[in-house]
This record gives sequence, C-alpha cells and structure tokens, in this order.
Amino acid sequence: MADVNYSEAEKTFILHGIQDKFPCREDGRGCEDYRHMEIETGVVSNTSGSARLRLANTDILVGVKAELGVPSPEKPDSGCIEFFVDCSANATPEFEGRGGEELATEISTVLSRCYDNSGCLDLKSLCIIPKQQCWILYIDVLLLECGGNLFDAASIGVKAALYNTRIPNVTVNQEDDEMEIELSDDPYDVNRLDISSSPCIVTLSKIGHYHVVDASQKEEACCLARLMMGVTAKGTISALKKEGWGSLNPESIFDMMETGKKIGQVLNTSLLNVLEEEEKSGNKRKTVGFLK
Amino acid sequence: MPLDSRRICGPESTQSPHIFTVNKDIKSDILLNGERKDGRKLDQIRPLFLRPGLISQAKGSAYIEQNHTKVICAVYGPREVMRKEDFSMKGQLTCEFKFATFSCKKKRQHQQDAEEKDLSVQLLEALEPAVQLDKFPKAQVNVYITVLQNDGIALAASITCASLALADAGIEMYDIVVGSSARIHGDVMLVDPSEEEEYRSQDCKDVNEGKVVIGLMPSINQISALTSKGEIDFETISQAIKTCIQTCQKVYPVLQNALVNSVKTKT
Repeated sequence: MADVNYSEAEKTFILHGIQDKFPCREDGRGCEDYRHMEIETGVVSNTSGSARLRLANTDILVGVKAELGVPSPEKPDSGCIEFFVDCSANATPEFEGRGGEELATEISTVLSRCYDNSGCLDLKSLCIIPKQQCWILYIDVLLLECGGNLFDAASIGVKAALYNTRIPNVTVNQEDDEMEIELSDDPYDVNRLDISSSPCIVTLSKIGHYHVVDASQKEEACCLARLMMGVTAKGTISALKKEGWGSLNPESIFDMMETGKKIGQVLNTSLLNVLEEEEKSGNKRKTVGFLK
Repeated sequence: MPLDSRRICGPESTQSPHIFTVNKDIKSDILLNGERKDGRKLDQIRPLFLRPGLISQAKGSAYIEQNHTKVICAVYGPREVMRKEDFSMKGQLTCEFKFATFSCKKKRQHQQDAEEKDLSVQLLEALEPAVQLDKFPKAQVNVYITVLQNDGIALAASITCASLALADAGIEMYDIVVGSSARIHGDVMLVDPSEEEEYRSQDCKDVNEGKVVIGLMPSINQISALTSKGEIDFETISQAIKTCIQTCQKVYPVLQNALVNSVKTKT
C-alpha cells in the first residue's frame, strides 16, 4: 500500500473520532457509509467491455478483452477468466518498476478467488467447443490513483466492466470431421454476461474497537487488521480473507461479517440499478470522467 | 510463468493422468453409516504427529504429519537485513512456501507458482500477529516451509508447523498459532478434510460448497488468519469458523506437549 507516514497525534485523532459514541470519521461519514462514487461504462472502444470508477480519490479503469483459446484440461467444458492488476506509477511513485507488484498480485488473487465458483459467473456459457475452443476473458484493472479502499473499488469496477462486456456471437459449422468457427460480423449480434450474482468485495477495517467500511488512505494507516469479503446480491459469501498484521477476536469477526453482508447486499443492488439506468439513457448520458 | 532456464524441464505440455478420473460425489462416501471414507467421524481430525527441532543447523525447525499430509519447516534468524531499502525499525518476518515437486497429484514446478506465492502471503499474515516483531529491530527472521506430501489442508498444517518451528527457534511470540480447516459440502461439514474431500471449484455447482481455513492463537483467543473459498451463506460460514476454533483449541495441548518434550530432550 502506498504508505504515508502520519504522526501519532493524527492517528489518535482518527481513532478517537471513530471510538466516540457519536461516530464521526475525519470526513464526517458514519461507520457504514461509502464515499461518493462515480461510475461509467463503455469508456474504451477497443475493449469488449470497460468501466471507470472513481471512489473519492481512488481512480480505477477496468478493461475486459475476450479472446479465443483452448480450455484448461481441468475444466474442459467452460471458459476462463483471468485477472491482472496493474499498479501504474501514476498512482504513486512507489509503484515504479516492480514496486506495485506485491499489491497487484494481492488484489488479483482476491478477485480471482471471489469469482472462482460456478455460482458467481457462468463460465460454461463461454465454452464454444468442449476441449477445443472457449472464450477467455482477460480482465485488466488499471490503478490510476490511490485513495484507499482499492479492493472494493477494483471489484466494483470489474463487475461494471463485466456488465458492459459484449461477446460476439459465434456459430460452429461441422464439415466432415472438422469444426469451423464463424464469427458474426454484425456488431449488434452479441452475447451479454449475466452478472446478477457476481460478488462485490466489502473491506471492513478494524480501527480501535470498531470497524468501518470504505476506509480512506488515512484510516488505512491506522488500521491493524481488515477483513475482506466477497458478497453477492443474495448475501452469500464467496470469499473471505483477513489481512494486515494484527489479529482479531472471533466475536468481532462475526460482527464484521454481519455488517459486511448487509452493506454488500445494498452495494450490489444499487450498483446494478445505476448500471441499468446508465444503459437506458444510452447516448444521452452525460460523461463525468476525463475519458471520452 | 517464468521458466527455469537452468533445468531441463521436459516437454511443456504434459498432463497429469488424474484429470481423466471421474470425480465422485464425496457425499455418497460420507453417508455410509455416518462415517467418512477413512473411517473418521465428520468432526474428527486425523492423528497428529509433531516433532520440533529436527534440522540441527537451523535456528528452529518442526515437522508435522497428519496421516498423509507431511510438512517440514525451518526457521533462520534473526539475522541482518541485507538490502538497504528493506530497512525498518521493526523486525521483519519472511515466509517462503513451497510444494515439493512430487508432493501433489499434479506435478509442481521447481519455481514458486502463483498459488504458492499466495500461500506464502497467507502464511505470513497468519504468523505476523503472533510474533513480537519489536524484539528484533532492524533484523529479519526467515521461515521456509516445504510440503513433502499433500493430502489436504496444506495451509493449515503449515501454519501449525511454522509456529512450532518459530517457538523452537526461541523467537518470542504472544502465542502459538494453530491452523485448522473445514470443508463445507451442502449441510455437511467435514473437519480436517483429506485431499479427496477438499474443495475444487470446477466440480461444485451449488451454494454452500467451499472451505474455510483459520489460524487461532488459543490462549489469547485471537484469530490471526481467516480465508475462505467457494460460495457459502452467512450462517454456514459462521458455524464453520466456530467449528474450526473448537478444533484448534483441542489441538493446542498437543502442541504444548510436543514443545515441552523437545525442550526436555535437548537438555
């Protein structure tokens, strides 16, 4: 993580703010509030699907590219998804060279673990000819600015980009013993992915005796341990990971999981609403970001 | 995957013959008069064998055996941090997790692959809260884990093994971290799953299929590691965590005993 050294006094100030009966975080939020989010999809024309997310200061661009490949021998009848996170040195000079690699692999492993079950994304629909041809989705997450809570932001961005993904229709013609794949040349003859049960990551940071969602960079510096959860719209948990160099009490873990489940469900439904609304407004929508 | 240029790796595209076996539903095996295939009850763990201090040249070491899961661990340090950039006033802990190439059904690579790197990070995060890092400022302690044979719960066994090795090395800790794992299969929960019973994402279709791994410091009742895989609902996952905690607490006296015995035999 982009480490900034904060003074003990500043850390105590943040800690006391959260610990008080009247919960007040440094930016005036309650403990279960997210910061302002801006999301838009279809921002990069060369991708199969893309999305840009800005969560306060965190800026993330996600591009999905669908390519044809051979399915893995363990899963011959389904396609695959591959996550790659790029921590660009634009975000912070510490990411220069190989500096961001550790964080990048951490984010991509959490993401792939969240999607590593058949309920979250129907990979079987990505298969064209079992054992021979399938769609491989390369999901690339580009980090443009770090403002805390990268995991949540990345997962929301990924979900939005998958919603926006359009995979061209292919038909398989069998001639004698050979299969021939024909790609539809109509740009509107496409398949969409069903993301209704895809998870969003909710990170709960333990600060003092309480936990907060969507920690800012300052709050992350005060936090000893956090719990990351992949939560689906149904409220099921698709991945769980404790992170950081502190440990947690079992009771507080159950409390955090309860909050995470609640927040995650709301997050998923409101994200889907926003995406559907954006889709409806079509070309009339106003652009908010720097792209386009 | 970067390839190792110093070794002759053989053809790149070999496959394990095991991918052609048909995966049986593990439930049909469990339901045979409420016993698992190896004769255990659902919440019964496998027999445990522990042996601290078997690598004489390391500062501390440990070996753990749970039926066919065999893990060895060595701890070196505290020693000087060689790279200037890594300087820190607090002590540092590094973990390296490696499956021996012959340890799993599938052949492993000589170099660490993505899964092993992920497991190294998980192991580090499990051990870091337990070790008193401020006791060895500007120095580092290295933990090396090698899985000799994998028959399920490699991570949980490694957590236990590594903390035992750290204790054997005399590194000051708040408590020993005990690892345990549970497999969730519908309404059944299998504690300490074997390789056959372990969760594989490709052959599961329903909700409530997955696994949970925890690392617990029993005497201070703190969880230092918690990971899960697979889609599980809230109640089931809470229940699984509770079951894992109980398992850890059951194993704890065995670990203490093993350490006491090793100290006695040393002197």
